[in-house]
Amino acid sequence: MTILRDSVTQPKANIGKALSDTACNSRGAPWTRVNQLLHSNPNLWRGCDMAGQGFHGIGTGYHELDDILPGRGWPSSGLVEVIARHSGMGELQLLIPLMQSVIKQGKWILCVAPPYLLNAPALTQAGIDIGQILIVKQDTPCKDALWSMEKAMQTETCGLVLAWQNWLPGKVLRRLQLAAEVGDTLAVLFKHNDSKYSPSSLRLQIKGSVTDNRDFSRAEVTVIKARGNFRPLSAQFSLYPKTVSA
Amino acid sequence: MEDPNNSAQKPVATAGSRKSGVIKLPLANRCGPGKQRRTNNESNKEPAKSRPRRQSLWYAIYFPQLSELSESQQTQILYELAGLAENVSATVSFHSQALVCEIRSSLRYFGGIDNIHSKLQSLIVPALQTRSLGDSFLYAASPTVSGSLLLARSGHNALVYQKENLRSALGKLSVDVLDLQKEQHRRLHNMGVRKIRDIWRLPVEGLHKRFGSNFVNSLSKAAGTSPEPTRNYIPSPEFSVSYDLPYEVENINYLLPIIDEILIKLRDFLIQRDLSTSHLLLSMVHEKRSRTEIDIGLRQATRHRDHLLLLIETHFAQLAVPAPVVGLKLEVKQFDAFLSESDALLTEERVECRSKINSKHLDQFMEQLHARLGDDALKSINTIAEHCPEYATQQLNYEDKKAQMSATGVTNNPRPFWLLDEPIQLTLKGSKLYHRQAITLISGPERIETYWWSGLDILRDYYIARERNGSRLWVFRERSGERNWFLHGYFS
Repeated sequence: MTILRDSVTQPKANIGKALSDTACNSRGAPWTRVNQLLHSNPNLWRGCDMAGQGFHGIGTGYHELDDILPGRGWPSSGLVEVIARHSGMGELQLLIPLMQSVIKQGKWILCVAPPYLLNAPALTQAGIDIGQILIVKQDTPCKDALWSMEKAMQTETCGLVLAWQNWLPGKVLRRLQLAAEVGDTLAVLFKHNDSKYSPSSLRLQIKGSVTDNRDFSRAEVTVIKARGNFRPLSAQFSLYPKTVSA
Repeated sequence: MEDPNNSAQKPVATAGSRKSGVIKLPLANRCGPGKQRRTNNESNKEPAKSRPRRQSLWYAIYFPQLSELSESQQTQILYELAGLAENVSATVSFHSQALVCEIRSSLRYFGGIDNIHSKLQSLIVPALQTRSLGDSFLYAASPTVSGSLLLARSGHNALVYQKENLRSALGKLSVDVLDLQKEQHRRLHNMGVRKIRDIWRLPVEGLHKRFGSNFVNSLSKAAGTSPEPTRNYIPSPEFSVSYDLPYEVENINYLLPIIDEILIKLRDFLIQRDLSTSHLLLSMVHEKRSRTEIDIGLRQATRHRDHLLLLIETHFAQLAVPAPVVGLKLEVKQFDAFLSESDALLTEERVECRSKINSKHLDQFMEQLHARLGDDALKSINTIAEHCPEYATQQLNYEDKKAQMSATGVTNNPRPFWLLDEPIQLTLKGSKLYHRQAITLISGPERIETYWWSGLDILRDYYIARERNGSRLWVFRERSGERNWFLHGYFS
């Protein structure tokens, strides 16, 4: 078995690139056949895919993103860091399908100290019941914001905690990650800067499409770190179901 | 002059069975012995019939001096005295200027009616003296409430043990003790009626006609031929526990185990009375300083110890005590009825049930947040049918939310998730727009013109734009004045 395993994982640079490029963009026929072949052998696992490990995530709503995430979706609990260097990268749009599914479960979403006013008509347009959203006001001190995050994660009926905090030390992140795991809740932290060695279960970076700045809806998401994944993958896809045309 | 109705029925009632006087069973009385045996197993009233029911003995305490006080004062004093009378009886009821307590059940415990009387006297006389209401009261005991009251009012201080003797004992009383209107008293006097005995002799139907059924009823109640419903004294619950610490405590977190113990007491107290609480007051006593008080108001009444402890803990996290604590006191300010939730049996109801439990969890979480962050920290949002973007979102305190939730029409034009508090002015260099980096317009314009009536006069052309670093922006250009460009939101 080990020989088989090695033979697949060794040229990981090549396969990784092939995966990110081919699997996500042009889902061509030859590649699907290779995929089928690989899936048919249960003794074989691929580095970028944790599906064989019995771990299933919550679908992100974007195929291309599912493909590069372990468990094919968001982890069911833990801390997720979404890094966008500037506001307006589509970081909230990325989470809209997740928010919808949380609300469908009858749970509510807590937004802790958002940087700007949350625009209600936009959320309604995105199909989110704003009655299920609670906001801890903008100018809450960091200590209190973290405290309310932790408390919300311990509350059963809170399905998702969104927080905007930039400079959090590793110790605090670790504590949040533990609280999220214990409370079986997903917490998403939006940041402008990446912090290395963060203990969170998933770290994503979202950028506007590099190739064409005029393409409004496309975004590039890079998985910097994911539990069960060992090398960065990235995908480019359209964030909006119907494109906002020029 | 034997009246046909009342007195004819009475011998039957007393001789046959005492019970039939209270609960009329005309059919059972009339039917033959064979039939009666058959009903023996069916009727639930039979056991009482076969075994003579224990008569109750009512001890009436009458305070003639109360008549000078106003009605509210009377009720207040009676309420306080009822608390004292509870020392000898579990059933204390209120009557005008009088209290009546059931003492048959406590006769053996106290060892006779004399002991009960002296006990009551030792309790009530000092209470009357402190209110300068003299030091005497009238009393009597008999098997009916009204009978005892009449006897007490007459000032005879009589004791009638058996119901059979009650009628003759009452008969001796003057009609003045009856609680009647002046006109009725005059009429009785004119009829030549001086004693209650004389009324017994009158035909009941005539009495009904002349004095109304209330009059006849009250008399038959007194004689023990009709049931007497009473309004009983129920003491109001009170919970107040103090704890003196053996030494001074500076770190208030050390108080939590003690508070936990007090909360266990509170929980037991509430469970015993089937109550819950929605307002608590915790005070910490300092030496030579006024006490520190924590006012704990709850959104939903509870008797959950963990939740209360959590709230107190949260309050403690924010609290700084001015001096070491030497004592603790927990008081309940507001009691509420306890409402429990049951899980649904049917699957259709389960969703509803779950949502109820969810909202309870949410309420508890909310209380915790409010305790720490203050009352206006938590917001919810609502859409308003409004063209002007900054007024289309309404930020509400969570409290007001439920009343105001409304699904209003939302535009189909793209709106950003983030809106800036104040639009930021962009710089225009040559033909290029700059915020942090150069901005390219992608789509637009969407023209918004509103508030012309209020002087604000909003005339704007909105564009979707993109900064060179990739930010999706929502910018607008004023169509009046200097025609400046502004950044108003982010398509996040």
